[in-house]
Amino acid sequence: MKKTMLGVWIAVSLLSATACGNKAANEGAPSSPNNEKKTLTIVNWKGYGSDDPEVIKTFETKYNVKIVHPYMASEEELLTKLRTSKPGDLDVVLPNASILPVAINDGLLSPVDTAKLSNYAAIYEPFKHLAENAKDGAVYAVPWVWGSTAIVYNPDTVKGPIDSVQALWDTAHKGKIAFRDDFNDAVMTAALALGQNPNHPSDLDAIKQKLIKQKPLNRTYWKTGDEFAKLYAGGTVDIGLMWSGQTAAMKKEGQHIKYVIPKEGAIGWVDNWAIVKGTRNPELAHQFIDFMIDKKFQEDWVNRGGPAPVNKNVTRTLDPAFVEEMGLDEKTIGKLTFISYRSDEEKKKWNELWLEVKSH
Amino acid sequence: MDKKIWLMSPAVILLLCFCVVPLFIMVYYSLLSDGTRGHLTLQNYADFFEKRIYLKLTWKTIRISCCVTLISLLISYPMAYVMVNLIHSGKNLLLLAIIIPFWTSQLVRAYAWQNLLREGGILDIMLRKLHLIGSEPLGLLFTPYAVIIAMVHIFFPYMVITIYLSLEKVDIALVEASKSLQAGPLTTFRRVVLPLSKPGIVTGCILVFVPSLGVFVEPRILGGTEGSVIGMVIEDQFFEIYGWNFGAAVSFILLAIILLSMAVLSRLAKKEA
Repeated sequence: MKKTMLGVWIAVSLLSATACGNKAANEGAPSSPNNEKKTLTIVNWKGYGSDDPEVIKTFETKYNVKIVHPYMASEEELLTKLRTSKPGDLDVVLPNASILPVAINDGLLSPVDTAKLSNYAAIYEPFKHLAENAKDGAVYAVPWVWGSTAIVYNPDTVKGPIDSVQALWDTAHKGKIAFRDDFNDAVMTAALALGQNPNHPSDLDAIKQKLIKQKPLNRTYWKTGDEFAKLYAGGTVDIGLMWSGQTAAMKKEGQHIKYVIPKEGAIGWVDNWAIVKGTRNPELAHQFIDFMIDKKFQEDWVNRGGPAPVNKNVTRTLDPAFVEEMGLDEKTIGKLTFISYRSDEEKKKWNELWLEVKSH
Repeated sequence: MDKKIWLMSPAVILLLCFCVVPLFIMVYYSLLSDGTRGHLTLQNYADFFEKRIYLKLTWKTIRISCCVTLISLLISYPMAYVMVNLIHSGKNLLLLAIIIPFWTSQLVRAYAWQNLLREGGILDIMLRKLHLIGSEPLGLLFTPYAVIIAMVHIFFPYMVITIYLSLEKVDIALVEASKSLQAGPLTTFRRVVLPLSKPGIVTGCILVFVPSLGVFVEPRILGGTEGSVIGMVIEDQFFEIYGWNFGAAVSFILLAIILLSMAVLSRLAKKEA
């Protein structure tokens, strides 16, 4: 027995020794920069616009810089990255409202000088006034792309036109509805249906009752966009809650599907670029963000199937019918309630409410 | 003997580093209160037992798991019995056929079941062609039945293999002795074969019941609006709302249930052996 323990100890100490060795080797890397070329480190989702090889190449050539592109798997992970990285490790990141207030308050981001962004003026006005993006008059996050979660239906099988969120509570569609399995969307949608403020609902109990009433009308709750697309294509469901981006993709695949922003409003989200505090390349960081909201990049991406651009000059070049139906115009933006920051307590409460609805 | 124990050290180190230590980290999380400066508390465990909904979901999960275990046993025992006693060639091929689905991911198999069970899906078409059902679809998808079918499909091979192994070890001389003492085939089975294969049945039940308690993929994809189980609560806590502390507490309660059920099952095995 003693011998076994000895073996374990030797192995553990060997393991930790190699681990230390690796760490020491790694530490040297970022602090030995290539003097000719600066490095810009950008944290974003994988396959989300900014890591496109063409885009990277264009920017790298234009500004004589090397882009390093680590990925994040969740907003929470990005927050952890910001907290644990050393100053100068990261330059530009893509937070949304769910972590922005925390990141700003903890001093993890540095203010953006909007005067340095030639394209800032072209951003739709409502996006410049998102509460989570600023603090004490300073702008910390620049909107990049956005989208909405609203109602879709099959115009061939559902008697339309539908213009109200109450359609999801309409017994005429019983067994053909697919609501989304997501506590945030569920609570916000029920709040819209009840005329409450979706970001700050006044009566959670009424919301719970409303969602319980909706439950038996569903065929299922969907979790991933792909899951909904399959059920819709197979005719299992023909009305539901859906994302604008996924709907556009389904249209491109030839699905006959109609996207409606209900008269009561709908849920909206925005992804923003922010500059990390302690960056060694503030100029480059601003140039990168400006490049990301430039008409050229935004137009290319939306035409390749990307989310809705914030640059209003891009919308003007798109097919007006498509813009109208997918709700990409300023009129739609005014009808959306953008998902605001929620405290952990609030999230816990909403999640529990949704769980109670699902297991009612 | 003393020297050979060294051979275990890679496994022991792996277990220590990647199983025992993380488990203790999880215990720590489960005892931590929420907020940036958490303190030690039993609140997460209290929350679980105070709110009816978590107990309700746990009970529902246990019921589903019992169903899956029982059905797996009823399917697997005859299959293993036939494979041991009646099939002389091609046994390995059959075993391979049972193991092959293991090479496909659980998620893919759940989606495959969705295609099989949906209205106008493959099962509907087949049954209609055989005139077993009319034009009305079966409507199995998005019901608890769909979840149980998919779970049985995923877990029953464990049961077949363990029962097969224990049946194969049954000494044929004992069966012949029973016959020569005028016992009928049923009596022989009940008094000789069944008791001897009990260890395989118990191991099989554990191997099916335990992972059944933790599933969340099949209920989510096939269960429809009634698909909530306790495994999904844990998944939500870790991936949706970052409630690691509560999620860890629920995991430990599930672990306790698992250990308890294993104790009960192995006690059952010992009693009769």
